[in-house]
Amino acid sequence: MKKNNPETPPKEEQLNALEEHLAGTLVPITPPSELVVRMRERIRVPQREEIVSQIGNWQRLFLVFGGVMSGFVLIVTVARTFFYFVARK
Amino acid sequence: MPDTEFNEEDVLNRAAQGESEAFGLLYERYIDRIFNYVYYRTGNLHDAEDLTARVFQRAMNHIKNYTDRGVPFSAWLYRIAHNLVANWHRDRSRRQEIPINDVPILPSKGDHPEKNLVRSQEEDSLLRLIRRLPPERQNLLILKFVENMSNAEIGAITGRSEGAVKSLYHRTLLSLRDQLGDQKINLDGE
Repeated sequence: MKKNNPETPPKEEQLNALEEHLAGTLVPITPPSELVVRMRERIRVPQREEIVSQIGNWQRLFLVFGGVMSGFVLIVTVARTFFYFVARK
Repeated sequence: MPDTEFNEEDVLNRAAQGESEAFGLLYERYIDRIFNYVYYRTGNLHDAEDLTARVFQRAMNHIKNYTDRGVPFSAWLYRIAHNLVANWHRDRSRRQEIPINDVPILPSKGDHPEKNLVRSQEEDSLLRLIRRLPPERQNLLILKFVENMSNAEIGAITGRSEGAVKSLYHRTLLSLRDQLGDQKINLDGE
């Protein structure tokens, strides 16, 4: 049978001491102001002009995407025509 | 800003309608809390900054979907932070970087963490043990000690009853005490 060590503090005392250490270790910290500003910059809402310029970029993106798809369809059509004639011979 | 001047419901409505100034008020109000939470869950300032910014970015992008279901707005933010921190831990384990228990534990006391690098060996040991606890227990300790929240407030954020929080807290203390004993760490420095 396990005997209690007379030098070991009772459970409640141990837990109270642990709580005190936790309170001393887990202390609130204030993020440095430059860090707060930097984060604010990162999450800021884009201005109206930026949104307009983004839409401009999207239009360009659509044009590029449309051009690529058209080129792809053209290549496929030429390839099919070529194989059509080759297969007939 | 004093609470009397801050009508959170009104600010939330304005932010949900896309008013960036209103979101800025929410940011100012919660930045410290979220930063503290993320910092204590990650253990380093760089990642804490990055993840905190991502928490607010995500909150800003999804604030239109936020609905008041009787839980505080902070609970919603903590939930986002919790998910991002969980992803961060998962990515770290995949990349097999430095094990989390070996992450140097930086700062802490005072307003400017980088200027207060001195932390006692006992506090370092205790922090390392805390980081080995399951996430819900780490959350509990951070909310209780860093945010100084009551069990009821913690319950509102974590979706548990006050009694369940109290019980979990007690089990967490017992577990920490046992681990300290197993590792022969004496917090009193004797």
